[in-house]
Amino acid sequence: MHKTAFGLLAGLLLAGTALSTRADENLFGYLSGAETLPKGAKEAYLWVTHRTDKGVGHYSAYDVTAEYEYGLTPRLTGAVALKGQSIDTHGIVIDGYVPGDEKYGLRASGFEAKLKYKFLSPLIDGFGLASTVALEHNWLDPHSGRDKDTTSLTLGLQMQKNFLDDQLISVANFAVESTYAVREPIADLPPGFDWPTNPEMEIELTGGAGLTYRVAPRWFVGAETFYQTEFETEVGQERWSWHAGPSVHYAARSWWVTLTWLRQLRGGGETYPGQTDTDLHLIEKTKQEVRFKLGYNF
Amino acid sequence: MNDTFHWWTVPAIVIPAAVAAPAYAVQYFTVAQAQRALFPSAAAFVSRPVALSAARKDFIQDYSGVRVRAERQPVWRAEADGQLLGWFVLDEVYGKHEFITYAVALDPQGGVRGIEILDYRETHGGEVRDKRWQAQFEGKHYGDRLRLGDTVQNISGATLSCKHITEGVRRVLALYETALKEGAD
Repeated sequence: MHKTAFGLLAGLLLAGTALSTRADENLFGYLSGAETLPKGAKEAYLWVTHRTDKGVGHYSAYDVTAEYEYGLTPRLTGAVALKGQSIDTHGIVIDGYVPGDEKYGLRASGFEAKLKYKFLSPLIDGFGLASTVALEHNWLDPHSGRDKDTTSLTLGLQMQKNFLDDQLISVANFAVESTYAVREPIADLPPGFDWPTNPEMEIELTGGAGLTYRVAPRWFVGAETFYQTEFETEVGQERWSWHAGPSVHYAARSWWVTLTWLRQLRGGGETYPGQTDTDLHLIEKTKQEVRFKLGYNF
Repeated sequence: MNDTFHWWTVPAIVIPAAVAAPAYAVQYFTVAQAQRALFPSAAAFVSRPVALSAARKDFIQDYSGVRVRAERQPVWRAEADGQLLGWFVLDEVYGKHEFITYAVALDPQGGVRGIEILDYRETHGGEVRDKRWQAQFEGKHYGDRLRLGDTVQNISGATLSCKHITEGVRRVLALYETALKEGAD
């Protein structure tokens, strides 16, 4: 039921926007440039991210985001997003994180509101600089799939420098996310399983860079990488990980798509008992992710 | 029943809808129509393509700040009663995904008479066809400052097209200086 409703919502949103277009493409899957929408311009996105493989058992999760953006001024863009997720995991029990098997289809999981302000334009000023502030609330834990209320405030910085007549585009992103989280109690926990329901505070830092080139009309091919680490009140640095992968972007007349395959290269911090890939962080991250983005401008 | 969400169901539904979306008209002028629009009193347009030697490319690139990709620049001499009315220069600049084909009309002294967009294949930024925006270039010569956001006003939502056409006009003015100006080699 949830899946049907969400699919209909996304379909209606995007079918409606197919009537007119104005592309402002995301050339990367995980990173973003420093451009904002023109005043009065509207944009709709759909992201689907598939996260797989924790090195043990079976883990497959999909994150879906339907986002609407609006150009409030030539420099300020506002956005709202609905989020959903599905999960299929079995054979994985990680004390404090994954209490057991879980499987469900697409469920609404949260929402987000975001503002992006452009200080410098990469096209006019020669170097692009923008900043974002986002407030997000979720009620499902993306790792275990269980009930967990989280409220996050993220401050981001986006930089962009274009080369070769704007055909080669480089970006760098930095972000600080502060999260307040409370887990819902679970009745049937395994004996001795730690599932704290006290409020937690977490700070996540992310830094990344990407490069993409227009290899042919309508086609951009590039690569992106980012480092992410998280600090938590009880354990200090809970995790860190490096991710990298290629991105392919195609723009048609009335829509664009971006596909990114992201591999975790190295990671550390907490591990689960028996973890064999000790050079990766596999509790809150997976070995790989694939992200598909579809966008319309109107 | 397996109710796990399959991510491909969304693009499978949406992409066919997107493909069915209205297409865009792309050609506004043929070359002959653009020539007539920019030189309505001309009796003849004589093709005078300019070979772009390495030295000319360097000169043009240094002045305009953009690459010169072609080996020959299509140029026509607009004439009436055997007299030179000006030059019609056909050029292309990058849009975000496709080339924008445009023409610059120069008077015999190398001043910009006007601009026409012939082919615009981008999904947005078509505001560069606005005559009020194009009028900012009229009367500009080689050596005049032409910078987007400075002496050339930007159009919000068409920044990439505005930037590249501004650079393209600089490139055409440098072409005149190095190849079309009386006495140029």
